[in-house]
This record gives sequence, C-alpha cells and structure tokens, in this order.
Amino acid sequence: MATRKKVLLKVIILGDSSVGKTSLMNQYVNKRFSNQYKATIGADFLTKEVVVDDRVVTMQIWDTAGQERFQSLGVAFYRGADCCVLVFDTTAPNTFKNLDSWRDEFLIQASPRNPEHFPFVVLGNKVDLENRAVSTKRAQQWCQSKNDIPYFETSAKEGINVDIAFQTIAKNALAQESDEGIDSAFSPSLTLGSSSDSNNRPNSSDCSC
Amino acid sequence: MLGQSTSDIEMKERLIANVKKEVKQIMEESVTKKFVHEDSSTVVSLCGAVEACLSQGLRRRALGLFKTSSTTALLHKISNQCDEAAYVSKKIHEIEATDPSKRSSSSSDSIIKPPILTKKGSSSSVGGTSSTNASGVVNSTPTIKYLWIRIALYEKKLARIIDHLVTNANRYYDKDALVADPDYGSILSSLLVGPCALEYTRAKTNDHFWTDPTANDLVQRHIIPSQSTPQATRRPMLNIKRIHTSSTDDSGISTYKSSSPASTAKDYVESLHQNSRATLLYGKNNVLVHPKDVAEPMPGYLSLHQSIASLTIKWTPNQLMNGYNEQSLPSSAGSIVSASDVDKSFYWAYVMNINVDDIVYVHCHQNRSSEETSGTIILVGHDGVQRPPIHFPEGGHMAQFLSCLETGLLPNGQLDPPIWSHKGIGRIFPWPAKSRRRIGGLPSLLENNDEMPIDYVFRVVNKSNPEEFLATHSIMEIGRTSPYRRHLSSCSTNESSDCSSKSISLDLVENTSGQQQQQHQTNQVTSIALVCTTMKRQIISRAFYGWLAYCRHLSTVRTHLSGLVHGRITPDIGADNGLTKERWRELHDENGVVSQESEVYRLVYYGTVSHEIRKEVWPYLLGHYTFGMTPSERKELDENTRHYYETTMSEWLAVEAIVRQLDKEKTAHAVAKLSSGGSASDSKVKSNGVDVDVEMENEVFEENGFSDLSDPEVEDEKTAKHENAMEIYEAEQKDETLTAPPVGPNLELKSSPSNSSYETVGTDFVDYVDKENFPMSPKLTNLTAVIVTDASIDMTNLPQSDSNSIAFDEINGTRDNLETVNEELSPNSLDALQEPKSSCVSPASSNGGIYSSEMLENFGLNLHRIEKDVQRCDRNFWYFANDNLDKLRNVITTYVYEHLDIGYMQGMCDLLAPLLVIFDDESLSYGCFCRLMERMIENFPNGGAMDMHFANMRSLIQILDSEMYDLMHAHGDYTHFYFCYRWFLLDFKRELLYADVFAVWECIWSAKHVSSGHFVLFLALALLENYRDIILSNSMDFTDIIKFFNEMAERHNVSQILKTARNLVLQLQTLIENK
Repeated sequence: MATRKKVLLKVIILGDSSVGKTSLMNQYVNKRFSNQYKATIGADFLTKEVVVDDRVVTMQIWDTAGQERFQSLGVAFYRGADCCVLVFDTTAPNTFKNLDSWRDEFLIQASPRNPEHFPFVVLGNKVDLENRAVSTKRAQQWCQSKNDIPYFETSAKEGINVDIAFQTIAKNALAQESDEGIDSAFSPSLTLGSSSDSNNRPNSSDCSC
Repeated sequence: MLGQSTSDIEMKERLIANVKKEVKQIMEESVTKKFVHEDSSTVVSLCGAVEACLSQGLRRRALGLFKTSSTTALLHKISNQCDEAAYVSKKIHEIEATDPSKRSSSSSDSIIKPPILTKKGSSSSVGGTSSTNASGVVNSTPTIKYLWIRIALYEKKLARIIDHLVTNANRYYDKDALVADPDYGSILSSLLVGPCALEYTRAKTNDHFWTDPTANDLVQRHIIPSQSTPQATRRPMLNIKRIHTSSTDDSGISTYKSSSPASTAKDYVESLHQNSRATLLYGKNNVLVHPKDVAEPMPGYLSLHQSIASLTIKWTPNQLMNGYNEQSLPSSAGSIVSASDVDKSFYWAYVMNINVDDIVYVHCHQNRSSEETSGTIILVGHDGVQRPPIHFPEGGHMAQFLSCLETGLLPNGQLDPPIWSHKGIGRIFPWPAKSRRRIGGLPSLLENNDEMPIDYVFRVVNKSNPEEFLATHSIMEIGRTSPYRRHLSSCSTNESSDCSSKSISLDLVENTSGQQQQQHQTNQVTSIALVCTTMKRQIISRAFYGWLAYCRHLSTVRTHLSGLVHGRITPDIGADNGLTKERWRELHDENGVVSQESEVYRLVYYGTVSHEIRKEVWPYLLGHYTFGMTPSERKELDENTRHYYETTMSEWLAVEAIVRQLDKEKTAHAVAKLSSGGSASDSKVKSNGVDVDVEMENEVFEENGFSDLSDPEVEDEKTAKHENAMEIYEAEQKDETLTAPPVGPNLELKSSPSNSSYETVGTDFVDYVDKENFPMSPKLTNLTAVIVTDASIDMTNLPQSDSNSIAFDEINGTRDNLETVNEELSPNSLDALQEPKSSCVSPASSNGGIYSSEMLENFGLNLHRIEKDVQRCDRNFWYFANDNLDKLRNVITTYVYEHLDIGYMQGMCDLLAPLLVIFDDESLSYGCFCRLMERMIENFPNGGAMDMHFANMRSLIQILDSEMYDLMHAHGDYTHFYFCYRWFLLDFKRELLYADVFAVWECIWSAKHVSSGHFVLFLALALLENYRDIILSNSMDFTDIIKFFNEMAERHNVSQILKTARNLVLQLQTLIENK
C-alpha cells in the first residue's frame, strides 16, 4: 500500500479583512461556524481529503491575514499555489472592489507559470445577511471579465454553497496541477472549470434572495 | 426506594454533571482536533457517563434484565418500539456475529467492571465512581466497551434513543430514576444532541492513505520511543497512569496522553508505512527479535526507513502490528479479551526504533548449518551497548537487509568494508570462509575459525563532514601500504573526526594481522620517516584549522550577537518566587516610593509578578511610571493621562460623528443604487427621489457594523431621550461648514444595545424600517439615514466636557457606568448623562477645526478596521465575552487617532487586550499601551524590527543549534523564519493563554533591564528547543512547522519555556564573556 503518489493541492484564500476567510475555511473543513474567530495574523492552513474525479486528493487550504499591509509576507505562503480563492463580503462593496488588487497581488507574488489561466474562484460571502450591497450581476460581470472565473455566493455561517464551491476549487486546482506535467492538456481543464461554473450558477443566484 | 432523598438528587446531579463534562470535552475535542476519532478516549468516557445514567434506577427485574448490569439488553428490548434502537440493535447483532469476541464485553459484565454498577441498591455511589473507574477500565478495552452507546453515537441516533427512553421511562425505570425524572431526563437527551451531530472518523478508511498527524499526535509519538527500554516494572505503571489521567486531567497535552492505546498503536503502525517524509527501504515480517528479558524470540515486523535526516531501523512486535484492528494474540485464544488488551501495552517496551547514526558496528552471524541463508544481526551503538539480536529467517533476508541498509546509508555514509566492493561483482553473500576479503581486512570479532558460523563485522561510517571523510580516506589509502603510518595518521585525526576515531579500533585489529606485517617490514625505515612528517603536518593543520574555526565562530558571535544580550550576568538568587505582594510592599519606602529599580526587574525576570499586584507593577515595568515617583506624582501623572486621553477621545468622537454622517449619505446612495438596479431583495427600500447618480466605486465607508438590524426595537422613551441629545448635536453640526444639512423635524435616532451589535460580526447597517417611515427627499436622506449607535451616547456627552472640565469630572463618576449603559440603557444612568447637556458646546468648534476630507476618509477607514477587529478580539475570554469591548475600542481609536499616519494595524487589539484586562481602566491602559507600542510598532509592516528579528533568529539558531538550522535549511529552507511572525508581532500573545501571556510579557519587559533587550528571540528559540526532538525526528518542513505551532498554541508549558529562554540568554552571555 501507500505506493500511490499523494496529490496535494495548495489553495490560498485571499480577501479583505473580516470578509469571512477563516470562517469559510473552517466551515468547509470542520463543518462549523463560530463568531469567535480572531483576526488572522500571519497564516494558518487546514487540510482536507477530498475525492475529485475518483481521485483522493489532499487540499491544503491557506488562510491569510486580510489587512493589505501584511501582504508583503504573502510570497512565502503563495508559492506553489494550485488555486486562489478570492473572497469578498456581499454586504461591503469595498471588499468587492479590492478583488482586483488581490488578484493582481497574488499573480505578482506567486508568479504562476501561466498567469492568464491560473485558476481563481470568487466567493461572495455573507449572503445570509440582509443588507446586501453587491449584486450578483455585478459580481458575475467582474468574474466574466477576468477570464470567466467561477463565482459562488456563500454563507460560511449557514454553510450555504460552501461545499460546492470548494469542490470546484479542488477540481480546478487539480486540473491546474495536472497541467503542470502536460502543458497541452490545458483546454479540457478550462472546460471543466467553466462547466462546473455554469452548473452552479443557478444555485448561487437562487440563494441571493 | 423512598421518594427523592437529598442524596438521590445529589447523585443525579453528579451523573448529569458527569455527562455534561464529557459532552463538553468531546465538543472541545471536535473543535481542536477537527474531528473526533472513534477510538478517542473522550468517546469512551462519554459513553461511560451515559451508561451510568441509563443504568441508574433501571427496572432490571421487571424487564427480565437482572442477569446483566448492562443496558444493552434494554436496547434490544426497546428496539421493537423505537426505530433508532432497532437500527442500532441490528448493527450490534451484525458486529457480534462477525466477531464473537466482542459479545462478552458488549454488555458491561466483563470482569473488570466496578462492582457498584451491578448493585441496584447502592446506586447512589455510581456517579462518584463511574467517572474514574469506568473510563479507566475502558481505556484498556477501548473498542469494545459500551458498544451499543458507541454505535448509536456514531450513527447519530443516541439522542433519539435516550429521548424514547425518557418519554417511556415509566415502563423501564423506577419512579425515582434519573431517566424517569422530568427534568434530568430531558436534560440528558438534550445534552446528547450535540455529540450526535459530530462526525466520527476511523481516520484510516480506504480513502485515507495517510493523514498529517496533529501536533498532539507528534508530541505523543515522541513519548512512545522514549519508553522503549524494556523494563518489567514499567508495565503496571503504564496502566495505572492511564487510568488516572484519562478522566481527571483536562489540560491539552495530558488529555492527549490518556488517549486510548489503540489509536496510538494505529498511529505507530501507520508511521511504519511509506509516507511523505520517510521512504520504506526494507520491510520484512516475522523477523525474530530476542529482547533481554524475554524467554523466547518474538516475531515482528522489521523495517528500514529513510527520511532526509536519518535512516531508522524499526522493529515492531506482531502483537502491535495488528493491534489496532483486532486482537489476534495466538496465546490468548482461550483467555479473556480484555486481559490480552492489558497485556498488549507492554509490548511497546519491546519496540525497537534505532537511528542508524547511533550504530557503530553491525555484527552478522550467519548460520551455515541451515542452508547458509538464515542469520542474525546484532547492532552495536556508540555507547557499546548491543541491541537485541535480530534473527532473519531463511532465504537470504539478512543479505537483503544489509544491502538495503547500505543503500540507505548512501551517499552520506556507508558500510565499511562495503558489501558489494568485493571484486567488483557485488553483493556476494555469504562469502566463503577463507575469502580473500577476510584476509584483506575484515576481522572476525568472535574469532571463529571453524566453518560453522561465519561472522562479519561492518562498521557504519557516517561522514557528517564530507571533507573530513575524504581526508580520512585518503590517509587510509596511503595506510594500505604502511600500516604503522596508517595507524598513526588515523590517530592524529581522531580528535576532530568522529568516523576516524571509529577506525582506530579496526586498525589495531588489522595491525595484528601477520600477513600484512610481513609486507611492510621491507620498507619500514622510509615509512617511519614519512609517518612522522605526515603526522606533524596533520597535527599542525588540524590544530590550526580548529583554532581558526573557533575564532571565526566567536567573532561571529561577538559581532552579530553581542548586541542581543547584556554583558553583565544578573544572578537569580532568591528570585524564585518572583515579585510577591509582600516583597512589593517591602520595596516601598515610608513615602510609598519604589526606587530599587533593578531589584524589581530582577525579581520579575526570574519569577514574574503575583497576579494581585500586576495592576500596580505593570505601569513601572512598561515605563509609564518611573521608579522613584512619589504617590502624589503618580496620581498626578494618572490625572494628566486621563485628561489627555479624554480630550483626545472627545476630539475623535467629534470626527467620528462627521464620518458617520458621511457614511450614511453614502450608504443611502448605495442602497438606492442597489434598489434602483433591481437586485436588492428588500422591497421596503424606496428608491424614489433618492439621488442615485453618486458613483458607487468611490465609496469608502459603506461597510458599517455599528447598528443592529436584528434588534430594531428600542423602547420609545429611551429613544426619545437620545433624540433630545442628538438634536442638540445635530443643531451644532448644522453650523459646521462641512456638513450643513437642514435639520429635519423628524430626526430619528436609533440606538441598539452594544452587546447585540457585537454579537453579529459586522453585519447590519441600514435600517429599512426607518427609511420607510420618512419621506425620502434627497436632502433629508442625509439626516434620516443617520443611525447613531452606542458610541453616540459618549459622543453627546464627552464633547461637553471638552470645554468644561468640571462637567467632565461629574461624568467621570459615571464613566464606568457608560459601558453598562450601552448595554442596559437604564433610565437612571441616562438621566445622569443628560444633566450637563445645557453646557454643551460644539465639539468641532471647540477644536476650531474643519477636518480635511483626506483626514476624514483616513480616520473613517481606520474606524471600520478597528471595529472589525474589536468585535473579534478574544471573545472567548471572559473579560471580552460580552462587556468591555467598548473600552478596547476607545483606547485603540484614541491611539490610532494620535497616530493616523500609521493607522490601525491588525494585532494592535491583541496587544492592548491583556493590558485592559489587568488595569480595567481606559486611560491607564492607554498610557501603558503607548509605552508598549513604542517598541512593538517597529514589528508592524512599516517598521524594520521584524526582519531584524528574523535575521537574529537565523544567527542565533546557527550558533546555538546548528542541527536545527541544517534541518530548516534542508527542508525547503525556511530559515526566513516566517513561522515566527505572529510570535514577534504580538509578543507571543496568541501562542499562550492569558495567564501565561501576563507572565511572559513581564519577563520580556524586565529582561530589557536584566539580561537582554531581545528576550523575544530567546523565547522563540526556547519554543523551538522545547519541541526540538519532535521537529527533528519528523523532519518538519515549513508547512509542518506552521501547522505544529498553530495547533500547539495555548498549550505550551510556559514555565518550562521561560526557564529555557533564560538559560539560552545565559548560554550566550557566557559564550561571549569567555573571550
């Protein structure tokens, strides 16, 4: 036994402070929500075993500090990432606005081999709250403009869409990782990403009410 | 039984309390360990507690259950009425069918069960004993006890079954039974709802090839090998220990120690497999090992693991290999299962875990009589101690093992002589008895000249330093022609080289070989001359290089590190108890002045401060008070600080009010835009008439977490009072040039209890109901959208004092109430606050200030950041659970307002929180926080201290623990030390529990005056050193170490770490001193 190569997917969660990065990670990995999470200082990660296309892979999900001042530390953590999750707070337009800079910052610091096609996933968190300020349409538009990034509207508190979002993250990360070996195999992974994306869209707009 | 006697109630209380405790523990475990293992000891003890509750007052006789004390029969009994019970019952039948051995103990009639449980009459003592006895017993038979309760728990049906029992209690239980009690019964079933919602794993499913061990696992695994010396006396000790720790200890590590042996066994067995860190080079089962105190050789699994750092030979008795699944002791077929379980634990004593680095010689004894293939290997360590012999079965396994061992040693070591160097053919094994090889230098220690057993000795050469290794070997090559010289030259090298010292013994043996002696007598004279010169050269060069290296090392230490510690070493005599209350009183002179500065620092450094005087001592330690201040001076300083603090606070409160108003405007626009875009879900918001042209992209202040939509009802009376105050404030605002909207007649003020606004994290900000109530003219929107929150209560009052200090003093009396006011809004304190209203002066005008829009924007941004972090600062610590968050916010905001160029940065809250907990006083906390931040601010991203810390850590660890440094360097090079970031940024505040934070901080502060201004570095080193063996043996890389320390947070043994840190300082001090 144990001869099979272990697949490790490194996933980085980025976004402004208090958009719910730690909560999303914990909701996904530990299936629980707490309002007692402290502001993340430095970085932490959790691992979770997931089955993607009948393969067992280990997701290593990195939770980072949200305040932009601390980004300089990022390079040590971003390196070797297979997927980047951008999170914003649907009740706070600024956090959405900053997605651009988070994405750019990540691409600069992580310098992935193929930045154009590096898998991102965008999560609009806190949809359980009523004071919504970023519309689904606006978020989707932005995602489409950035090479069709998959978009999910989640609630870490209620566990809405969290699993499905991370399943997509794992899928896209895995596609990214297998790309690293064979560069020509890139196009199928793109369809994989966008198909799961379109599958999940109805889902995500359902819960925005 | 008669009625409800008090002892009866007490007993029930105890039973329930016990369940509560276990439920709490299991929930905690699920949070901390991310999952609960099915074999976890907490599961067992929970089941035990439940069983105790269920068996109390059970009508065994009536139910025909009197033969058994177990509740298993009860389960089967109710299975025809309760679906869940039927399901679990079926499951148990299945399990018992597949493994009859479990049957006997699935009902708790097993022999070890405490006798009290069987006696109905004496049931009052059940609660008291079950917690210790039951779980203690259980630990020895972890997988079997309380089978049905376990299954029900795993299947998440336990709560329902208990519920069924409670509702139908009259059928199964005595009237006064716990389950039949209307209160306790429902408490019991509702307690179990939580654990029933958890996920239980067996960790090793088909999908799991291996998982990363938790920090606790690592700590635990580290404990196992250290127990590996076989000692008969140890066996009972282990069991007793487990029993005691299992239910009494609930501190992190010790709880872990008590976790069931089965899960430990599982971890160990898993560690024998190939994993990410270690390659399995060799594995063979049924290899016999003969431990010293055992009569017969025991079969077991021999394996050879290569990790980057080391090569390890492991041998595990068969009994442990299948240990965690099933018991398959051949000898225990007829014996009781639980007994064999108990036995099993002592097999741990026989586990061999040998680092090849520790081995000098490998003795091979081949048994020629039996087909030339079976053999025995004895490993001899540096210390000369022989490890138990390893008997390989027939089939060339010994040869295979040796060649695997040799492969494993490459490239940094080898077997000497190499197995496969023989004539270049390689791996010829066994060699003929009179092979040339043997003549050529492979001595037989046992000197058996007959042909029966053939023995070989291999030396394990480990070249820690490649150059030295080469040097030795070049000498040895020359030595081949001249044994005298070789002997001497290798002697000359032994002082510095480990491997060459090993070679001496070999050389000596070699020199006795008659054949060789004949050879070199021919050129004896020349060789002696040659030997002398070479020896001279060797000695001189070695000495020189040794001296040079030492000088370099010292110069590095001096130039780079001498700045880190003080030159003078302060003795720790009599400082063990630290600064106690009595000692502190003694240090005051008759005027109440403390002037013995260095003594205070010394006491605190070596022994920390007693908690009750921290409030008095900390201002000194932080430099807020200076030593030698008289009480009146201190009081004056406090007054000044408070005045300054309150003045500053009133200033920023005024600015905050403006910022908030701007916020509301933008919020209104945002909402309007959203609703006009049709995507807003709330139909209550009317977009008519609201100006939607404002560009949303420019909005800064949209996120607002201050008011609470979820709690919109505020009593009218109170609202009205606020309204009054607010109107005045608004009237003043009107005069300002910055915001001059007409005051609407229907100004609405909303206030929300502070605790609820903090309970949701940055949530609600627009009150739709309000909106609906008011006409939405574009101009009025500005005002109607204003929502003033708790902070505004301060705001309406504090500005007044700005110009009227007498009024302020009045308020000061109620300042403490303010916090509670926010929460309770009690009419009384509100009235008190309203009093000085008449003397109200516009806060902004008193300052004479018009604020620039950049400043407002900047401050607003910081306010939001502060708010977000205050809300989630140590909410699990009692002090901040509900109250006191406003104090935190006020002090932080005051500090940030004073340092707007730097602004708020994450971590500041963490640094302030312990100060506030100690002082419970805003202005004093503020004063001390400013002092603290003088040093700490440099650690934040805009300062340079963090990089300096990392660089210093690098130098320190290189000098004090080069092995650790090499490991860090080899495993992805994390000598950038980013994993220490949080440690340094927050002075270890997140790594430790509050009580420990206090102690550590005091040490850091006083260390500056006693031993080192960089004590944090030594604390960090101490943390690393404390887990050194775990870090090294697991060859941790960057991610491992981050995970390890994140998981170990708040579990460190702080007194140990402080001690280590102080010793490290001392170590460096002496190193520098010894010039």
